[in-house]
Amino acid sequence: MKRLVIVLTSLVAVSASAQMCRARASWPTTAWPEALVNRDAKAAELKALEDYAFTLEGQPEERKGLRTNSLVVVKNGAIVYEKYARGWDASKRHLSWSVAKSVSSTLVGIGVQQGLIDVNDSVCKHLPDYASDPVVCAITVKHFLEFGSGLQWQEEYEDRTYQVSSVISMLFGVGRRDQVRHVLTHRKLHEPGAMFAYSTGDAHVVSTIAKKALTAKHGPDAFWTQLFDKLGMTAPVFEEDVSGNPLGGSFMYATPRDFAKVGFLMLNDGCWADERLLPVGWVQKATAVSDTFRAARGDCSGTKAPADTFQLPCEDTPNGYMWWLNRPPAAGAEKPWKDAPDDTYAALGHWGQRIIVIPSEDLVIVRTGDDRQGSIPVNEVVKYVLPVVRP
Amino acid sequence: MTTLRSMLMVVGLAVSACAQDDAKLRTYDNNDLELAVGNAAKMTCTCRFVMQMDDAYCRDWVRASPNVARFEVDTTNKVVTASAFISWTARAKFVDDKRGCAIE
Repeated sequence: MKRLVIVLTSLVAVSASAQMCRARASWPTTAWPEALVNRDAKAAELKALEDYAFTLEGQPEERKGLRTNSLVVVKNGAIVYEKYARGWDASKRHLSWSVAKSVSSTLVGIGVQQGLIDVNDSVCKHLPDYASDPVVCAITVKHFLEFGSGLQWQEEYEDRTYQVSSVISMLFGVGRRDQVRHVLTHRKLHEPGAMFAYSTGDAHVVSTIAKKALTAKHGPDAFWTQLFDKLGMTAPVFEEDVSGNPLGGSFMYATPRDFAKVGFLMLNDGCWADERLLPVGWVQKATAVSDTFRAARGDCSGTKAPADTFQLPCEDTPNGYMWWLNRPPAAGAEKPWKDAPDDTYAALGHWGQRIIVIPSEDLVIVRTGDDRQGSIPVNEVVKYVLPVVRP
Repeated sequence: MTTLRSMLMVVGLAVSACAQDDAKLRTYDNNDLELAVGNAAKMTCTCRFVMQMDDAYCRDWVRASPNVARFEVDTTNKVVTASAFISWTARAKFVDDKRGCAIE
């Protein structure tokens, strides 16, 4: 009997430690603490960073080069660097574009933690008004989280004829009034989970699943009460279409300091203060190469299947649950962001929106911008920020 | 001559391959003007009423190709109406501080 008690006690202790959150001296719920880098001691490093990120090219109407609107760096739980430009300041909410996808993924994690969503649930369980077709019902929440719905999707932007862009048609054209219906009425192109296809449509479905699950229990403002308010985000906006579907693939807005809180939640394994908001293991899973990505890319070691068996090039940046990852395609191969630590992951948005998280450096970097000729490379941001924040 | 013929064949094959590639793509029943006014209405609405940037900034922010949309901003009701020529209009309205703007 005594032995049984010891065993049970040990099991409870192990379980409790798995649930435990990282201890922090303080949490930035009310406001970010500040511990700004010494401008004299880091003069050269700061000049290099600011020359790179904030130097404008040509005339404004030409929209050339990098056009940084903000750069906020959080190290060891405090803001160590912050700069705004081009009319922006700390109070202004910035468009996230696809950074919203990573937030949508996180909102599903909230639903999983609360027992409202299982990632293996069929989409039809959560969106019965939209999906009853057996082909669609075979797609799970996890498939959508991994950009693996298999539904036909053409993620084209300004550089191609608008008539072939699934996303522009959804946001501004024929699909705009009910964007989830627009997504789910596309034909099946691949088996679910077999092909990674980056899709704003998949992310819209993810955020709508999160909304349906969370609002059923917590009411219409569930995104705010269950996530944004808990982080102390000041005024985040999460837009919806006129049918009430949240547009979690594109249209979230927040201040750079608030976007840093999303990164900080991930950095802290889904914990905030004394509360676990995301399930144990969620962040690990969300920032590991997804099953769909692996299936679509295959083994890049060169020892197995021929390249043409798979449809993703080995050089492509891998993805987890809508977070981009600095993982090499095979042992010894070059990683996507060569100057960044291996554990770097990021939320990336059009025109250069970035939330970059580096757990090994206890670092979160937020960059907002308006880059119309390519987007600022993650590698360069990290390369210039690390010397500023390292001792 | 043989070289020229070979080059033409290569170009022909390339064009044919592109055409086949495009043929696999789904096309949508939008026209550029409809998309232009939709983009102008929605992006102007969020630029002004969500991001709270000024008129000059927002005019540059929403500038797209084709840049044919004209828009009116009703700051009292927080509505943006965009139009192109006579037939094409779109309207976006600020909903509230949580849900931003929606295109109708």
